[in-house]
Amino acid sequence: MIEIEGITKRYDATTVVDDVSMVIEPRTVCVIVGTSGSGKTTLLRMINRLVEPTSGIIKLDGADNRSLPGYELRRSIGYAIQGHGLFPHRTVAQNIATVPVLLGWDKARIKARVDELMTLYQLDPEAFGPRYPHELSGGQQQRVGVARALAAEPNVLLMDEPFGALDPIIRTKAQEDLLAIQKRFGTTIILVTHDMEEAVHMGDKIAVMDAGKLVQYAKPAEILAKPASAFVETLVGASERPFRLLSLGRVRDAVEKGSAEGEAIPGDASQRDALAELLWSGRPALPVKGADGKPLGRVTVDGLVKRAARPA
Amino acid sequence: MTLRFDKLGVVIAAIVAYAAFAAPFATFRANRIVPGQARSILEALPATTGTLLLAIIVVAALIALFRTPLALRLAASVVALAALALLIGVAGTFLTPAGNTFARISPASGFWILIFAFTLLLADVLTRLNLSPLARVGVLVAVSAAIGLLLISGSWNDLSILKEYANRADSFWAEGSKHVTLALGSLAAAVIVGLPLGILCHRVERLRAGVLNVLNIIQTIPSIALFGLLIAPLGWVATHVPGAAALGIRGIGTAPAFVALFLYSLLPVVANTVVGLAGVPRAANDAARGMGMTDRQRLFGVEFPLAFPVILTGIRIVLVQNIGLATIAALIGGGGFGVFVFQGVGQTAMDLVLLGAVPTVALAFAAAIILDAVIEMTATKRRVETA
Repeated sequence: MIEIEGITKRYDATTVVDDVSMVIEPRTVCVIVGTSGSGKTTLLRMINRLVEPTSGIIKLDGADNRSLPGYELRRSIGYAIQGHGLFPHRTVAQNIATVPVLLGWDKARIKARVDELMTLYQLDPEAFGPRYPHELSGGQQQRVGVARALAAEPNVLLMDEPFGALDPIIRTKAQEDLLAIQKRFGTTIILVTHDMEEAVHMGDKIAVMDAGKLVQYAKPAEILAKPASAFVETLVGASERPFRLLSLGRVRDAVEKGSAEGEAIPGDASQRDALAELLWSGRPALPVKGADGKPLGRVTVDGLVKRAARPA
Repeated sequence: MTLRFDKLGVVIAAIVAYAAFAAPFATFRANRIVPGQARSILEALPATTGTLLLAIIVVAALIALFRTPLALRLAASVVALAALALLIGVAGTFLTPAGNTFARISPASGFWILIFAFTLLLADVLTRLNLSPLARVGVLVAVSAAIGLLLISGSWNDLSILKEYANRADSFWAEGSKHVTLALGSLAAAVIVGLPLGILCHRVERLRAGVLNVLNIIQTIPSIALFGLLIAPLGWVATHVPGAAALGIRGIGTAPAFVALFLYSLLPVVANTVVGLAGVPRAANDAARGMGMTDRQRLFGVEFPLAFPVILTGIRIVLVQNIGLATIAALIGGGGFGVFVFQGVGQTAMDLVLLGAVPTVALAFAAAIILDAVIEMTATKRRVETA
């Protein structure tokens, strides 16, 4: 659990982060959204003390984060940034091993961990381990960047626009991979982005920041349904709202009794994808199948449209 | 098959044509200081040998003139250079009257221009071959070995520059080692002081402009003026600091030369350290901090290795510059190859000037090739991020 209590950061006369308090539950994904200059990156960097706060306290599992020297604290917290920040003069394997080496793990343990992470990220350790970062594609570099952040099995992972430099297709894949790994390791992730789509997709909770202040901190559905201010409403995007709301739900939860013609849609797909398919093919209903391929029922345009409406 | 002109080849062929037929190949002088008389290739060599050399030169120039395979161009330049190197020695023996020890035979402008033209051809071929760094050092070693063999074999012994050498063999090596010690020693001192200074300038922004400006100003002081300026403070140190005089510190001599070279070396070392450190990708630096490296670990593990090729470039500049500059140390009694240059100028004996100048140029050239190769080898692995 991460408790942020009354955190403020001032540079001379400008207040970058203004009295922010929030609690991040363990094993969840918290996304901090905001425009550039909203203080979201500064807030993130105060958690691992790359930036020291002017006032306020941050507690990690109950312990003040100033009870350790900064560099020791940072070794226990994962850190991944936009443009991955890989060391160009070290191989992929050496990059991933950075923190374990700093912590003084023995060689066998480091190698086992590096191989495990590379395999998890679909990078063959034999083929990719000895290569240099510039020999990898953008998507591969980003995966190595996240693997490096996770190398020392941190409970908390801080990410500053980690997918910012990726093209849309690779970005979606990277987001899915990250969610899968988060479930597997139970890591608490705090992710900074300016992309509301990413926030709604990734976040268990979303923190919206504006001009250094925490404007709203709530579950995605609530942010969409009840934006706390005009700023949040703009950030959500009025024309995107119903579709974002649908993207939060699974088709499985919108199934109605009955049957329909045509190719079935999997129950795991998002309701937004189902509506898009219905609108595009001009049909009133789609059959739904379970993970085992058995028919579950159908989804209808009418049913989905009701779900896209503003919650009461 | 149509023959097409090679752009550089046209220039080389024109230079060769002038040098082979219009410029003198060797100079004959009755003794070491009288003005010389020019000798063409055919006058300087026995008839058959002279004709052979002309034939080799013409064929090699034709190969250079047209677009020909690289291997052929390589062979042409190597054969032409080898023939010139061997036959200038023959010319020396041929032109020296039997039993005359005063006559001096030296290579003349035509010879030097021919060497220049075919070296240009060779350099062009080597560039186009895109040799690996190690291969370039290999070429350097091979060329040095060939020249060494020619020197040892004695086939150049009748040339004036070697006659000057024969008169000064002992002092040549003594001054040579002094020259190298001065150049390398001041470089080492500049690296020991300059690296930490550069790191400091990188970390403390307020210091940067000031330090670099001061070093810039030092760089613009003419060397002779700097020697003059150093006489007073070093003289004071010699008389007032116990033990300083015993270490050889005096107002003139090796000490001021060393200090001057050291001061001139500081700017390239410090400036390149600053530039190299500034060129380290921000993201890599941020990631290093974010993952819990201490400042020292970040400096030695990330910043320094990434800045290293740029710092090495600075060291290369300093080394080549120092080997050249060390020549003027002789002006204030600091020794080195400059001793021969200034003696030669004083006696209007150009051969003696060359005895000092040629090894200096050769040393600087070799140092440049070796350090370039080292820089390229360290840089290939450390290419900047592409994403």
